[in-house]
Amino acid sequence: MTHLCLAAGFGLLALAPVYGQAPAKIASAGNKDWTMPRTTDGHPDFQGFWTDASVTPLERPKQLGAKEFYTPEEAAEHDRHELVDRTSWDRLGSQAQVHYDMSQYGLDVSLVKVALTRRTSLIIGPEGRIPPLTDEARKRRADQAAQRRGHEFDSAQNRPLQERCIVWSNTGPPMTPAAYNSNLQIVQGGGYVAILQEMIHDTRLIPIGAQPHLPSNIRQWLGDPRGHWEGDTLVVDTTNFTNRTNVFGSTENLHVVERFKMVDADTIVYEFTLDDPTTWTRPWTAQLPLTRIEGPIFEYACHEGNLGMPNTLSGARAAEEAAKKDAK
Amino acid sequence: MYRRTWSAARTERTRTASVRVPRDPRLKALWLKLTTPVTDCRIRVVRKARFVRGAMVVVLTWFWLGCAFPQAPANRARTPDGHPDLSGIWQVLNTANWDLEGHAAAPGLMIPLGAIGAVPPGLSVVEGGSIPYLPEAAAKKKENFAHRLELDPEVKCYLPGVPRATYMPYPFQIVESQKQILISYQYASAARAIDMENHKKAPIDSWMGWSNGRWEGDTLVVDVTGLNDATWFDRSGNFHSDALHVVERYTPRSPDTMRYEAAIDDPKVFSRPWKISMILYRHAEENAQLLEFKCVEFVEELMYGHWKKKPSQ
Repeated sequence: MTHLCLAAGFGLLALAPVYGQAPAKIASAGNKDWTMPRTTDGHPDFQGFWTDASVTPLERPKQLGAKEFYTPEEAAEHDRHELVDRTSWDRLGSQAQVHYDMSQYGLDVSLVKVALTRRTSLIIGPEGRIPPLTDEARKRRADQAAQRRGHEFDSAQNRPLQERCIVWSNTGPPMTPAAYNSNLQIVQGGGYVAILQEMIHDTRLIPIGAQPHLPSNIRQWLGDPRGHWEGDTLVVDTTNFTNRTNVFGSTENLHVVERFKMVDADTIVYEFTLDDPTTWTRPWTAQLPLTRIEGPIFEYACHEGNLGMPNTLSGARAAEEAAKKDAK
Repeated sequence: MYRRTWSAARTERTRTASVRVPRDPRLKALWLKLTTPVTDCRIRVVRKARFVRGAMVVVLTWFWLGCAFPQAPANRARTPDGHPDLSGIWQVLNTANWDLEGHAAAPGLMIPLGAIGAVPPGLSVVEGGSIPYLPEAAAKKKENFAHRLELDPEVKCYLPGVPRATYMPYPFQIVESQKQILISYQYASAARAIDMENHKKAPIDSWMGWSNGRWEGDTLVVDVTGLNDATWFDRSGNFHSDALHVVERYTPRSPDTMRYEAAIDDPKVFSRPWKISMILYRHAEENAQLLEFKCVEFVEELMYGHWKKKPSQ
């Protein structure tokens, strides 16, 4: 019975136009004869392992003014300086030479594949900087800083989200370069685009379609994503953040729109726009490349291996005891 | 001629046998028509033709119904390369996470939780009923059970390992593509990537292990190695060593259910390999979605509360 249907079906298929087979020649800085890989539903195939490791700062150095792009020679010199001249602890701004030397673990950006760009900053546009804060945000920040002062080590809840292993700030959305392990894996199937990020093994499950977002009373650390295709660009709209997610100081009103566009076999241009009217006076957009890597993604069992938290807190309590004794 | 005579004679004999003939004239006419053997060849041919025509109508209708409303095969959805598409949101409906072995209901460990904290009953998911511990290991299991509040890694929101992640009381989502199958678990945002193409040896131990997958007919077979010894199988202290080797089998059995089997091999703890088996049920709600259960935040007071700064006098 099934065979009869298949026989009839094949007959019809032979007459149907063949979708998703037309190659899309996209001009890129790299290979001009490149053909967009596609999944069988005709959409671009982004699957594989990628890195957003970068030596480009989020905000443009002030002395560069409105200069948005380096010349190829300037870019090469900038990248060489970042990757070769500077040390791991220079980049991380740490004084502790042993602990923060990522090169001893093979994790420093000078030792891994880096997504290079000629941009002078990840934030695009003539200013290349995060826009001014609203008055409300300025006050909020001042209040929060005042509350924190002197209480940074009181409890686990006073430590940054990363130290608590709740959520890694580079996971996003939006995804931003991390000091190390800036790795992600994309898998497409079942009507979803899934992005598994190495730290902290978070998977963003992005449904493709027009389903509405979660109701406003359900908030999530990573928000609630909804995706759709605009031609060959994947557009992901994320809302429903918690009021503690804190992307560059944002609130629960944060709205993130991301765009993924493949420009050659090994490069996806990733762009994100952040909008939070209770934090910034206007939305702002950054763009960074994702570069293909060999993979795989390794397990980052942050919470399971979190000796830092008990050590930090018990150390703070011991320091207080010692200070009390000295005072006597 | 002979046939006609024989038939006529037979008809006579039939008629004289003890058979009840309807009295109503119309029914009688019909009865006679149906019971009288056909002697006229032309009538026979016509009846044969009508029979064949009727049979063809029935057969063609059957095919049409079959094509228009196909019987849903056990694995209705398939990926373009012909394998079952396991993509979707799944969850178990058993109490294996409380205890893999059969268990009656029991009071919980926290009196204030009352019935909410009590242990629900459940049948064993272990083939054969019980787990074949080596003697020393059986003693350790008893000790684990006695101290489960301190020792069960789930209490601290630690990653559950394999196979426990499958039967936690939370949904998980499978995203299937040809080269990689991703499984994302709602519990603690645990995740696994199953490599369907480039099978490599586990480079290092991890909580969720190293998964190499392949298809055997319509069954997804996942070979899991590199599991560390820090996870438990359930909340009752059933445990393993770092020699654990798990082989999972995911077999669709209907559009919305799968059979899940996990073969457990750990010669340091068990006297022989053993197996668990259960059904996975698809979340068929239109708006089904995995939500965040980031439980690390919920255990901070438990794990770090005693290092909190005391309020100053």
